[in-house]
Amino acid sequence: MNALAKAAEWFINLFNLGGQNFMGLVTGIIPTLVVLITFVNALIALIGQEKMDKFAAGCSKFFLLRYTVLPVLSMFILCNPMAYTFGRFLEEKYKPAFYDSAVSFCHPITGLFPHANAGELFVYLGIAQGITALGYSLGALAILYFIVGVVVILIRGIVTERLTLLFMKRR
Amino acid sequence: MYKAIKISAGRGGWGGPLVIQPTDEKNMIVSVTGGGIDGLTKKIAEMTGGTAGDGFSTGIPEDKIAVVIIDCGGTARCGVYPKKRIPTVNLMQTGPSGPLAKYITEDIYVSGVKPENLSYADGSEPVTAPGITEKEDTKVKEDGSSGKQSILIRIGKAVGGVVGKFFQAGRDTIDMVIRHILPFMAFVSVIIGIINGTGLGNIIAKGISPLAGNLIGMIILSFICAIPVISPIIGPGAVIAQIVGVLVGEQIGAGNIKPAMALPALFAIDAQVGGDFVPVGLALGEAEPETINVGVPAVLFSRMITGPLAVVIAWLASFLLPY
Repeated sequence: MNALAKAAEWFINLFNLGGQNFMGLVTGIIPTLVVLITFVNALIALIGQEKMDKFAAGCSKFFLLRYTVLPVLSMFILCNPMAYTFGRFLEEKYKPAFYDSAVSFCHPITGLFPHANAGELFVYLGIAQGITALGYSLGALAILYFIVGVVVILIRGIVTERLTLLFMKRR
Repeated sequence: MYKAIKISAGRGGWGGPLVIQPTDEKNMIVSVTGGGIDGLTKKIAEMTGGTAGDGFSTGIPEDKIAVVIIDCGGTARCGVYPKKRIPTVNLMQTGPSGPLAKYITEDIYVSGVKPENLSYADGSEPVTAPGITEKEDTKVKEDGSSGKQSILIRIGKAVGGVVGKFFQAGRDTIDMVIRHILPFMAFVSVIIGIINGTGLGNIIAKGISPLAGNLIGMIILSFICAIPVISPIIGPGAVIAQIVGVLVGEQIGAGNIKPAMALPALFAIDAQVGGDFVPVGLALGEAEPETINVGVPAVLFSRMITGPLAVVIAWLASFLLPY
Protein backbone atom coordinates (compact mmCIF):
# COMPACT_ATOMS: atom_id res chain seq x y z
CA MET A 1 0.00 0.00 0.00
CA ASN A 2 2.80 2.33 0.95
CA ALA A 3 4.55 1.68 -2.32
CA LEU A 4 1.35 2.34 -4.25
CA ALA A 5 0.83 5.64 -2.47
CA LYS A 6 4.43 6.60 -3.20
CA ALA A 7 3.95 5.77 -6.87
CA ALA A 8 0.76 7.81 -7.05
CA GLU A 9 2.48 10.78 -5.40
CA TRP A 10 5.42 10.51 -7.76
CA PHE A 11 3.05 10.40 -10.72
CA ILE A 12 0.98 13.40 -9.69
CA ASN A 13 4.16 15.33 -8.88
CA LEU A 14 5.13 15.26 -12.56
CA PHE A 15 1.98 17.17 -13.39
CA ASN A 16 2.24 19.49 -10.41
CA LEU A 17 5.65 20.52 -11.70
CA GLY A 18 4.23 20.93 -15.19
CA GLY A 19 1.33 22.94 -13.80
CA GLN A 20 3.68 25.28 -11.95
CA ASN A 21 5.59 25.79 -15.15
CA PHE A 22 2.35 26.49 -17.05
CA MET A 23 1.29 29.01 -14.41
CA GLY A 24 4.63 30.77 -14.75
CA LEU A 25 4.32 30.96 -18.51
CA VAL A 26 0.74 32.22 -18.44
CA THR A 27 1.24 34.91 -15.81
CA GLY A 28 4.78 35.82 -16.78
CA ILE A 29 4.50 36.00 -20.54
CA ILE A 30 0.92 36.30 -21.74
CA PRO A 31 -0.20 39.66 -20.23
CA THR A 32 2.59 41.74 -21.80
CA LEU A 33 2.39 39.69 -24.96
CA VAL A 34 -1.34 40.33 -25.39
CA VAL A 35 -0.98 44.09 -24.96
CA LEU A 36 2.07 44.31 -27.21
CA ILE A 37 0.58 42.22 -29.98
CA THR A 38 -2.68 44.16 -29.86
CA PHE A 39 -0.80 47.44 -30.17
CA VAL A 40 1.34 46.32 -33.09
CA ASN A 41 -1.60 44.74 -34.91
CA ALA A 42 -3.56 48.00 -34.59
CA LEU A 43 -0.55 50.00 -35.77
CA ILE A 44 -0.22 47.83 -38.85
CA ALA A 45 -3.93 48.18 -39.62
CA LEU A 46 -3.62 51.97 -39.29
CA ILE A 47 -0.62 52.20 -41.63
CA GLY A 48 -2.46 50.22 -44.25
CA GLN A 49 -1.40 47.76 -46.91
CA GLU A 50 -1.10 50.17 -49.86
CA LYS A 51 1.61 52.33 -48.28
CA MET A 52 3.55 49.20 -47.44
CA ASP A 53 3.31 47.87 -50.97
CA LYS A 54 4.72 51.09 -52.39
CA PHE A 55 7.59 51.06 -49.95
CA ALA A 56 8.36 47.41 -50.64
CA ALA A 57 8.43 47.97 -54.39
CA GLY A 58 10.99 50.75 -53.82
CA CYS A 59 13.18 48.58 -51.56
CA SER A 60 13.31 45.68 -53.96
CA LYS A 61 15.68 47.42 -56.36
CA PHE A 62 18.73 47.55 -54.10
CA PHE A 63 20.37 44.34 -52.97
CA LEU A 64 21.34 45.66 -49.57
CA LEU A 65 17.74 46.62 -48.81
CA ARG A 66 16.35 43.56 -50.57
CA TYR A 67 17.84 41.20 -47.99
CA THR A 68 17.64 43.41 -44.92
CA VAL A 69 14.91 46.06 -44.79
CA LEU A 70 12.46 44.29 -47.09
CA PRO A 71 12.35 40.93 -45.25
CA VAL A 72 12.37 42.59 -41.82
CA LEU A 73 9.49 44.89 -42.73
CA SER A 74 7.50 42.21 -44.51
CA MET A 75 7.81 39.96 -41.47
CA PHE A 76 6.89 42.82 -39.13
CA ILE A 77 3.87 43.98 -41.13
CA LEU A 78 2.54 40.84 -42.77
CA CYS A 79 3.88 38.21 -40.32
CA ASN A 80 4.58 34.54 -40.99
CA PRO A 81 3.52 33.18 -43.54
CA MET A 82 2.06 36.10 -45.53
CA ALA A 83 5.43 37.90 -45.41
CA TYR A 84 6.60 35.83 -48.37
CA THR A 85 4.02 37.47 -50.64
CA PHE A 86 6.38 40.46 -50.85
CA GLY A 87 8.41 38.27 -53.20
CA ARG A 88 6.05 39.43 -55.92
CA PHE A 89 7.86 42.78 -56.12
CA LEU A 90 11.10 41.05 -57.12
CA GLU A 91 12.51 39.68 -60.35
CA GLU A 92 12.23 35.90 -60.64
CA LYS A 93 15.95 35.32 -60.06
CA TYR A 94 15.82 37.07 -56.68
CA LYS A 95 12.71 35.32 -55.34
CA PRO A 96 14.35 32.24 -53.76
CA ALA A 97 16.95 34.44 -52.04
CA PHE A 98 14.24 36.76 -50.71
CA TYR A 99 12.22 33.82 -49.42
CA ASP A 100 15.30 32.39 -47.70
CA SER A 101 16.10 35.76 -46.21
CA ALA A 102 12.54 36.41 -45.00
CA VAL A 103 11.88 32.95 -43.57
CA SER A 104 15.18 33.02 -41.70
CA PHE A 105 13.97 36.12 -39.89
CA CYS A 106 10.73 34.61 -38.64
CA HIS A 107 12.33 33.59 -35.33
CA PRO A 108 14.94 36.35 -34.69
CA ILE A 109 12.10 38.88 -34.85
CA THR A 110 10.13 37.19 -32.07
CA GLY A 111 12.46 38.36 -29.29
CA LEU A 112 11.36 41.97 -29.80
CA PHE A 113 8.14 41.61 -31.83
CA PRO A 114 6.36 38.39 -30.91
CA HIS A 115 3.27 39.26 -32.98
CA ALA A 116 5.16 38.45 -36.20
CA ASN A 117 5.22 34.72 -35.55
CA ALA A 118 3.22 34.10 -32.40
CA GLY A 119 2.70 30.42 -33.23
CA GLU A 120 6.40 29.63 -32.96
CA LEU A 121 7.56 31.65 -29.98
CA PHE A 122 9.34 28.88 -28.15
CA VAL A 123 12.44 28.77 -30.32
CA TYR A 124 13.34 32.03 -28.58
CA LEU A 125 11.23 31.72 -25.41
CA GLY A 126 12.52 28.21 -24.67
CA ILE A 127 16.12 29.36 -24.58
CA ALA A 128 15.25 32.73 -23.04
CA GLN A 129 13.61 30.96 -20.09
CA GLY A 130 17.02 29.60 -19.13
CA ILE A 131 18.42 33.13 -19.02
CA THR A 132 15.45 34.31 -16.93
CA ALA A 133 15.94 31.39 -14.54
CA LEU A 134 19.49 32.60 -13.87
CA GLY A 135 18.11 36.02 -12.94
CA TYR A 136 19.37 38.00 -15.95
CA SER A 137 17.17 40.32 -18.00
CA LEU A 138 16.37 39.45 -21.60
CA GLY A 139 16.90 42.83 -23.27
CA ALA A 140 20.43 42.22 -24.53
CA LEU A 141 19.65 38.75 -25.83
CA ALA A 142 16.53 39.92 -27.70
CA ILE A 143 18.34 42.86 -29.33
CA LEU A 144 21.40 40.82 -30.31
CA TYR A 145 19.16 38.04 -31.67
CA PHE A 146 17.50 40.67 -33.86
CA ILE A 147 20.78 42.30 -35.03
CA VAL A 148 22.62 39.04 -35.68
CA GLY A 149 19.44 37.89 -37.43
CA VAL A 150 19.65 40.82 -39.85
CA VAL A 151 23.33 40.07 -40.59
CA VAL A 152 22.56 36.40 -41.14
CA ILE A 153 19.63 37.02 -43.50
CA LEU A 154 21.76 39.41 -45.56
CA ILE A 155 24.47 36.74 -45.95
CA ARG A 156 21.84 34.07 -46.60
CA GLY A 157 20.22 36.28 -49.26
CA ILE A 158 23.53 36.83 -51.04
CA VAL A 159 24.60 33.17 -50.92
CA THR A 160 21.18 31.89 -52.07
CA GLU A 161 21.07 34.50 -54.85
CA ARG A 162 24.47 33.24 -56.13
CA LEU A 163 23.33 29.62 -55.99
CA THR A 164 20.04 30.44 -57.75
CA LEU A 165 21.88 32.18 -60.60
CA LEU A 166 24.30 29.25 -60.82
CA PHE A 167 21.51 26.66 -60.96
CA MET A 168 19.56 28.75 -63.50
CA LYS A 169 22.58 28.87 -65.80
CA ARG A 170 23.01 25.09 -65.61
CA ARG A 171 19.47 24.38 -66.79
CA MET B 1 -11.50 10.49 -69.75
CA TYR B 2 -11.40 11.92 -66.29
CA LYS B 3 -13.61 10.55 -63.52
CA ALA B 4 -15.06 12.50 -60.61
CA ILE B 5 -14.29 11.21 -57.12
CA LYS B 6 -15.61 12.13 -53.74
CA ILE B 7 -13.08 12.72 -50.96
CA SER B 8 -14.51 12.61 -47.44
CA ALA B 9 -12.90 13.48 -44.14
CA GLY B 10 -11.31 10.52 -42.34
CA ARG B 11 -11.63 9.57 -38.69
CA GLY B 12 -10.98 12.69 -36.62
CA GLY B 13 -10.70 14.75 -39.79
CA TRP B 14 -12.57 17.88 -40.73
CA GLY B 15 -14.29 19.49 -43.71
CA GLY B 16 -15.37 18.18 -47.06
CA PRO B 17 -16.57 16.15 -48.75
CA LEU B 18 -14.92 17.47 -51.88
CA VAL B 19 -15.84 16.22 -55.34
CA ILE B 20 -12.81 16.36 -57.58
CA GLN B 21 -12.95 16.04 -61.34
CA PRO B 22 -9.80 16.87 -63.29
CA THR B 23 -10.25 18.63 -66.63
CA ASP B 24 -7.94 19.02 -69.59
CA GLU B 25 -6.60 22.29 -68.20
CA LYS B 26 -6.60 21.30 -64.54
CA ASN B 27 -5.40 17.72 -64.40
CA MET B 28 -2.54 17.75 -61.86
CA ILE B 29 -2.92 15.94 -58.55
CA VAL B 30 -0.17 17.63 -56.60
CA SER B 31 1.58 16.28 -53.52
CA VAL B 32 3.25 18.93 -51.30
CA THR B 33 4.42 16.62 -48.55
CA GLY B 34 8.11 17.38 -48.20
CA GLY B 35 9.35 15.54 -51.29
CA GLY B 36 8.08 12.55 -53.23
CA ILE B 37 4.55 11.58 -54.16
CA ASP B 38 2.68 9.97 -51.30
CA GLY B 39 0.31 7.02 -51.56
CA LEU B 40 -2.94 8.95 -51.37
CA THR B 41 -1.88 11.23 -54.22
CA LYS B 42 -1.15 8.19 -56.38
CA LYS B 43 -4.51 6.68 -55.49
CA ILE B 44 -6.40 9.87 -56.36
CA ALA B 45 -4.52 10.18 -59.65
CA GLU B 46 -5.28 6.56 -60.46
CA MET B 47 -8.99 6.90 -59.70
CA THR B 48 -9.55 10.22 -61.47
CA GLY B 49 -7.21 9.68 -64.39
CA GLY B 50 -5.28 12.83 -63.48
CA THR B 51 -1.50 13.16 -63.36
CA ALA B 52 0.27 12.90 -60.02
CA GLY B 53 2.99 15.49 -59.44
CA ASP B 54 5.52 16.32 -56.74
CA GLY B 55 4.88 19.94 -55.81
CA PHE B 56 7.81 20.04 -53.42
CA SER B 57 10.67 19.40 -55.82
CA THR B 58 9.07 20.67 -59.02
CA GLY B 59 7.07 23.80 -59.52
CA ILE B 60 3.60 23.21 -60.92
CA PRO B 61 1.58 26.14 -62.28
CA GLU B 62 -1.38 26.83 -60.05
CA ASP B 63 -3.84 26.97 -62.93
CA LYS B 64 -3.09 23.32 -63.75
CA ILE B 65 -3.83 22.00 -60.26
CA ALA B 66 -7.03 19.99 -59.72
CA VAL B 67 -6.33 19.22 -56.08
CA VAL B 68 -3.38 19.50 -53.73
CA ILE B 69 -2.41 16.98 -51.04
CA ILE B 70 -0.54 18.28 -47.96
CA ASP B 71 0.56 17.00 -44.57
CA CYS B 72 0.29 20.01 -42.33
CA GLY B 73 -0.24 19.84 -38.58
CA GLY B 74 -1.81 23.26 -38.42
CA THR B 75 0.74 25.99 -38.95
CA ALA B 76 1.05 27.72 -42.26
CA ARG B 77 0.61 25.39 -45.18
CA CYS B 78 -2.92 24.19 -44.49
CA GLY B 79 -4.26 27.67 -45.18
CA VAL B 80 -2.17 28.69 -48.18
CA TYR B 81 -4.00 26.67 -50.84
CA PRO B 82 -7.53 27.22 -49.49
CA LYS B 83 -6.74 30.95 -49.58
CA LYS B 84 -6.08 30.58 -53.30
CA ARG B 85 -9.27 28.50 -53.54
CA ILE B 86 -7.40 25.38 -54.64
CA PRO B 87 -9.12 22.23 -53.30
CA THR B 88 -6.93 20.93 -50.49
CA VAL B 89 -6.64 17.47 -48.96
CA ASN B 90 -4.72 17.25 -45.69
CA LEU B 91 -3.33 13.86 -44.61
CA MET B 92 -3.27 15.08 -41.00
CA GLN B 93 -6.44 15.64 -39.00
CA THR B 94 -6.06 19.40 -38.82
CA GLY B 95 -9.18 21.57 -38.72
CA PRO B 96 -9.18 25.31 -39.38
CA SER B 97 -6.03 26.61 -37.68
CA GLY B 98 -2.95 28.67 -38.32
CA PRO B 99 -2.76 32.29 -39.35
CA LEU B 100 -4.91 31.60 -42.41
CA ALA B 101 -7.60 29.67 -40.52
CA LYS B 102 -10.40 31.83 -41.84
CA TYR B 103 -9.81 30.58 -45.40
CA ILE B 104 -10.08 26.94 -44.39
CA THR B 105 -13.70 26.13 -45.11
CA GLU B 106 -15.61 22.90 -45.63
CA ASP B 107 -16.21 23.56 -49.32
CA ILE B 108 -12.52 23.67 -50.26
CA TYR B 109 -10.68 21.69 -47.57
CA VAL B 110 -10.85 18.18 -46.12
CA SER B 111 -8.50 16.58 -43.59
CA GLY B 112 -7.53 13.27 -42.00
CA VAL B 113 -8.03 11.59 -45.37
CA LYS B 114 -7.03 7.93 -45.83
CA PRO B 115 -7.33 5.88 -49.05
CA GLU B 116 -10.59 4.32 -47.82
CA ASN B 117 -12.20 7.79 -47.75
CA LEU B 118 -12.07 7.99 -51.53
CA SER B 119 -15.02 6.90 -53.60
CA TYR B 120 -16.32 7.49 -57.11
CA ALA B 121 -18.85 10.32 -57.18
CA ASP B 122 -22.39 9.30 -58.13
CA GLY B 123 -23.10 12.70 -59.63
CA SER B 124 -25.47 13.77 -56.89
CA GLU B 125 -23.08 16.37 -55.52
CA PRO B 126 -21.69 19.35 -57.40
CA VAL B 127 -18.04 19.24 -58.41
CA THR B 128 -15.82 21.36 -56.19
CA ALA B 129 -14.79 24.17 -58.48
CA PRO B 130 -11.19 25.18 -58.10
CA GLY B 131 -9.89 28.65 -58.77
CA ILE B 132 -12.92 30.69 -57.88
CA THR B 133 -11.10 33.79 -56.87
CA GLU B 134 -11.41 34.56 -53.22
CA LYS B 135 -13.76 37.31 -52.29
CA GLU B 136 -11.76 40.50 -52.15
CA ASP B 137 -12.27 42.36 -48.95
CA THR B 138 -14.66 44.87 -50.33
CA LYS B 139 -13.32 48.23 -49.47
CA VAL B 140 -16.12 50.53 -48.58
CA LYS B 141 -15.22 53.78 -50.26
CA GLU B 142 -16.25 56.85 -48.45
CA ASP B 143 -19.10 58.09 -50.55
CA GLY B 144 -18.73 61.31 -52.44
CA SER B 145 -20.47 63.42 -49.89
CA SER B 146 -17.16 64.46 -48.33
CA GLY B 147 -16.67 68.15 -47.93
CA LYS B 148 -20.29 68.54 -47.03
CA GLN B 149 -19.85 66.64 -43.79
CA SER B 150 -19.32 68.75 -40.77
CA ILE B 151 -15.95 68.63 -39.08
CA LEU B 152 -17.54 67.06 -36.05
CA ILE B 153 -18.79 64.10 -38.04
CA ARG B 154 -15.41 63.65 -39.74
CA ILE B 155 -13.57 63.63 -36.43
CA GLY B 156 -16.12 61.25 -35.02
CA LYS B 157 -15.62 58.88 -37.94
CA ALA B 158 -11.84 59.01 -37.68
CA VAL B 159 -11.90 58.24 -33.97
CA GLY B 160 -14.40 55.49 -34.56
CA GLY B 161 -12.11 54.01 -37.22
CA VAL B 162 -9.10 53.98 -34.90
CA VAL B 163 -11.07 52.47 -32.05
CA GLY B 164 -12.46 49.84 -34.38
CA LYS B 165 -8.98 48.91 -35.54
CA PHE B 166 -7.71 48.57 -31.99
CA PHE B 167 -10.70 46.46 -31.04
CA GLN B 168 -10.21 44.18 -34.03
CA ALA B 169 -6.49 43.95 -33.19
CA GLY B 170 -7.43 42.87 -29.67
CA ARG B 171 -9.79 40.25 -30.99
CA ASP B 172 -7.12 38.88 -33.35
CA THR B 173 -4.61 38.82 -30.51
CA ILE B 174 -6.81 36.90 -28.09
CA ASP B 175 -7.66 34.49 -30.89
CA MET B 176 -3.93 33.97 -31.52
CA VAL B 177 -3.26 33.40 -27.81
CA ILE B 178 -6.01 30.80 -27.54
CA ARG B 179 -5.32 29.03 -30.81
CA HIS B 180 -1.51 28.96 -30.75
CA ILE B 181 0.24 30.31 -27.72
CA LEU B 182 -1.70 28.64 -24.89
CA PRO B 183 -1.73 25.18 -26.55
CA PHE B 184 2.01 25.35 -27.03
CA MET B 185 2.52 26.47 -23.44
CA ALA B 186 0.46 23.51 -22.26
CA PHE B 187 2.53 21.17 -24.39
CA VAL B 188 5.82 22.66 -23.19
CA SER B 189 4.69 22.44 -19.56
CA VAL B 190 3.86 18.75 -19.85
CA ILE B 191 7.30 18.05 -21.27
CA ILE B 192 9.06 20.12 -18.63
CA GLY B 193 7.04 18.56 -15.80
CA ILE B 194 7.97 15.07 -16.93
CA ILE B 195 11.60 15.95 -17.52
CA ASN B 196 12.04 17.58 -14.13
CA GLY B 197 9.99 15.03 -12.21
CA THR B 198 11.58 11.89 -13.61
CA GLY B 199 15.21 12.89 -13.69
CA LEU B 200 15.14 12.54 -17.46
CA GLY B 201 16.75 15.98 -17.47
CA ASN B 202 20.09 14.52 -16.41
CA ILE B 203 20.10 12.13 -19.34
CA ILE B 204 19.15 14.88 -21.78
CA ALA B 205 21.83 17.12 -20.30
CA LYS B 206 24.44 14.48 -21.12
CA GLY B 207 23.21 14.40 -24.72
CA ILE B 208 22.65 18.09 -25.35
CA SER B 209 25.43 19.76 -23.36
CA PRO B 210 28.28 18.50 -25.54
CA LEU B 211 26.41 19.63 -28.67
CA ALA B 212 24.89 22.91 -27.51
CA GLY B 213 27.49 23.76 -24.87
CA ASN B 214 30.39 24.74 -27.09
CA LEU B 215 31.10 26.30 -30.46
CA ILE B 216 32.28 23.17 -32.29
CA GLY B 217 29.30 21.16 -31.09
CA MET B 218 26.89 23.83 -32.24
CA ILE B 219 28.48 24.13 -35.66
CA ILE B 220 28.03 20.37 -36.05
CA LEU B 221 24.41 20.64 -34.82
CA SER B 222 23.59 23.40 -37.30
CA PHE B 223 25.23 21.49 -40.14
CA ILE B 224 23.16 18.39 -39.35
CA CYS B 225 19.96 20.48 -39.28
CA ALA B 226 20.89 21.98 -42.67
CA ILE B 227 21.50 18.75 -44.59
CA PRO B 228 19.05 18.98 -47.52
CA VAL B 229 17.35 15.63 -46.82
CA ILE B 230 16.97 16.41 -43.12
CA SER B 231 15.93 20.07 -43.16
CA PRO B 232 12.54 19.61 -44.88
CA ILE B 233 11.67 16.82 -42.44
CA ILE B 234 12.43 18.68 -39.22
CA GLY B 235 11.10 22.01 -40.44
CA PRO B 236 7.29 21.90 -40.16
CA GLY B 237 5.84 24.30 -37.61
CA ALA B 238 9.28 24.72 -36.07
CA VAL B 239 8.05 22.13 -33.56
CA ILE B 240 11.42 20.42 -33.29
CA ALA B 241 13.32 23.69 -33.03
CA GLN B 242 10.92 24.78 -30.28
CA ILE B 243 11.31 21.56 -28.28
CA VAL B 244 15.09 21.70 -28.57
CA GLY B 245 14.92 25.38 -27.60
CA VAL B 246 13.05 24.47 -24.42
CA LEU B 247 15.52 21.68 -23.62
CA VAL B 248 18.55 23.93 -24.15
CA GLY B 249 16.88 26.66 -22.07
CA GLU B 250 16.38 24.16 -19.24
CA GLN B 251 20.09 23.26 -19.35
CA ILE B 252 21.09 26.94 -19.31
CA GLY B 253 18.83 27.49 -16.31
CA ALA B 254 20.35 24.47 -14.57
CA GLY B 255 23.86 25.81 -15.14
CA ASN B 256 24.99 23.00 -17.46
CA ILE B 257 25.39 25.35 -20.43
CA LYS B 258 26.93 28.82 -20.18
CA PRO B 259 24.29 31.58 -20.57
CA ALA B 260 26.37 33.33 -23.24
CA MET B 261 25.88 30.27 -25.45
CA ALA B 262 22.18 31.16 -25.68
CA LEU B 263 22.76 33.40 -28.70
CA PRO B 264 24.68 30.95 -30.91
CA ALA B 265 22.33 28.18 -29.76
CA LEU B 266 19.35 30.12 -31.13
CA PHE B 267 20.90 29.88 -34.58
CA ALA B 268 22.32 26.36 -34.20
CA ILE B 269 18.90 24.82 -33.58
CA ASP B 270 17.28 26.74 -36.42
CA ALA B 271 19.41 26.17 -39.53
CA GLN B 272 16.48 24.29 -41.07
CA VAL B 273 13.96 27.13 -40.64
CA GLY B 274 11.44 27.09 -43.48
CA GLY B 275 13.27 24.32 -45.34
CA ASP B 276 9.98 22.45 -45.67
CA PHE B 277 8.12 25.51 -46.89
CA VAL B 278 10.25 26.66 -49.87
CA PRO B 279 7.82 25.84 -52.73
CA VAL B 280 4.82 27.20 -50.85
CA GLY B 281 6.68 30.32 -49.78
CA LEU B 282 7.84 30.91 -53.35
CA ALA B 283 4.33 30.36 -54.66
CA LEU B 284 3.11 33.01 -52.20
CA GLY B 285 5.63 35.36 -53.83
CA GLU B 286 4.07 34.50 -57.21
CA ALA B 287 7.21 32.74 -58.47
CA GLU B 288 7.15 30.88 -61.81
CA PRO B 289 7.35 27.06 -61.67
CA GLU B 290 10.87 27.19 -63.17
CA THR B 291 11.97 29.47 -60.35
CA ILE B 292 10.58 27.00 -57.82
CA ASN B 293 12.50 24.15 -59.45
CA VAL B 294 15.73 26.07 -59.06
CA GLY B 295 14.83 27.76 -55.80
CA VAL B 296 14.29 24.66 -53.67
CA PRO B 297 17.85 23.29 -54.10
CA ALA B 298 19.32 26.82 -53.98
CA VAL B 299 17.78 27.49 -50.55
CA LEU B 300 18.53 24.03 -49.16
CA PHE B 301 22.17 24.02 -50.28
CA SER B 302 22.68 27.60 -49.17
CA ARG B 303 21.79 26.51 -45.64
CA MET B 304 24.73 24.09 -45.49
CA ILE B 305 27.00 27.13 -45.82
CA THR B 306 25.01 29.80 -44.02
CA GLY B 307 23.77 27.58 -41.15
CA PRO B 308 27.19 27.00 -39.57
CA LEU B 309 28.26 30.53 -40.54
CA ALA B 310 25.32 31.99 -38.63
CA VAL B 311 26.44 30.10 -35.52
CA VAL B 312 29.95 31.55 -35.78
CA ILE B 313 28.62 35.11 -36.21
CA ALA B 314 26.25 34.66 -33.28
CA TRP B 315 29.08 33.22 -31.18
CA LEU B 316 31.24 36.29 -31.89
CA ALA B 317 28.30 38.57 -31.05
CA SER B 318 27.67 36.66 -27.83
CA PHE B 319 30.74 38.34 -26.29
CA LEU B 320 28.61 41.51 -26.21
CA LEU B 321 26.16 39.83 -23.83
CA PRO B 322 26.55 41.03 -20.23
CA TYR B 323 26.85 37.48 -18.92
